[in-house]
Amino acid sequence: MADDEDMEVEKDTGGDSKQRFVVKKWNAVTFWSWDICTDTCAICRNKLYEPSIEAQANPGIADDAGYSIAWGCCGHVFHLDCISRWLKTRSVCPLCNREWEFAKIEKIATYGNLD
Amino acid sequence: MPGCPRLLKEYKELSTAKPDPEIELKLTDEADIYQWTAKLQGPAGSPYEGGRFELKIVCLPTYPLAPPKVTFTTPVFHPNVLYKTGEICLDILKPEAWTPAWTLQSVCRAVAALLSHPEADSPLNCDCGNLIRSGDMRGYRSMARMYTAMHAGGNGS
Repeated sequence: MADDEDMEVEKDTGGDSKQRFVVKKWNAVTFWSWDICTDTCAICRNKLYEPSIEAQANPGIADDAGYSIAWGCCGHVFHLDCISRWLKTRSVCPLCNREWEFAKIEKIATYGNLD
Repeated sequence: MPGCPRLLKEYKELSTAKPDPEIELKLTDEADIYQWTAKLQGPAGSPYEGGRFELKIVCLPTYPLAPPKVTFTTPVFHPNVLYKTGEICLDILKPEAWTPAWTLQSVCRAVAALLSHPEADSPLNCDCGNLIRSGDMRGYRSMARMYTAMHAGGNGS
């Protein structure tokens, strides 16, 4: 399709090197989302791509837990320090009340670049 | 205003969000992040319709790991509210069912939903519970409307 149009332009200008239109500016727009149903930690209500609220409030004492996110086997996601603190109270997922089991833990990749 | 960062977050969210016409949620004292006052509109279709009910909400420093303590300060005739103290019997406010995914705003919505859906099998107000359990819904609604008119500014109709 794009190739056809290019050829058409060539023909119309009769082989003239003068271009009929030039791309002067190009704004690329992309949309992205996590492959999870929410981007907010339901425990501290910070975004999951930023540190937990505790890690933000106490940057000095923060260990990795405030900069990591944890998936449960139920599919729900929280900051690692948020869910760890809650599990001492009750060992269930705060969103679905199922018995909590860790599925995976990952570090937040870009926390250093966020304001 | 030092204190619980999660409550500060809720405070900020509430001050930027569109106001909820049915729930007005504010700090009781701007210097204390742990004490809140909510005003609920009596739900449409319930015998509390037309009334305005005030709630006192007290959070512990451990919030949101521990539930807030919520009581009615406006007297209300409801099977799950102790008339004298305003104590509320609602599962999500008990440590066994509370989870930190609730917010003060969603707790207020749950209390408003309780007004619409009285649960007569776990009554704190036995007289009220007995009216419902005996099937006298007309009696229950008429009493609840009367108390709403007396204490919550409802028109009693």
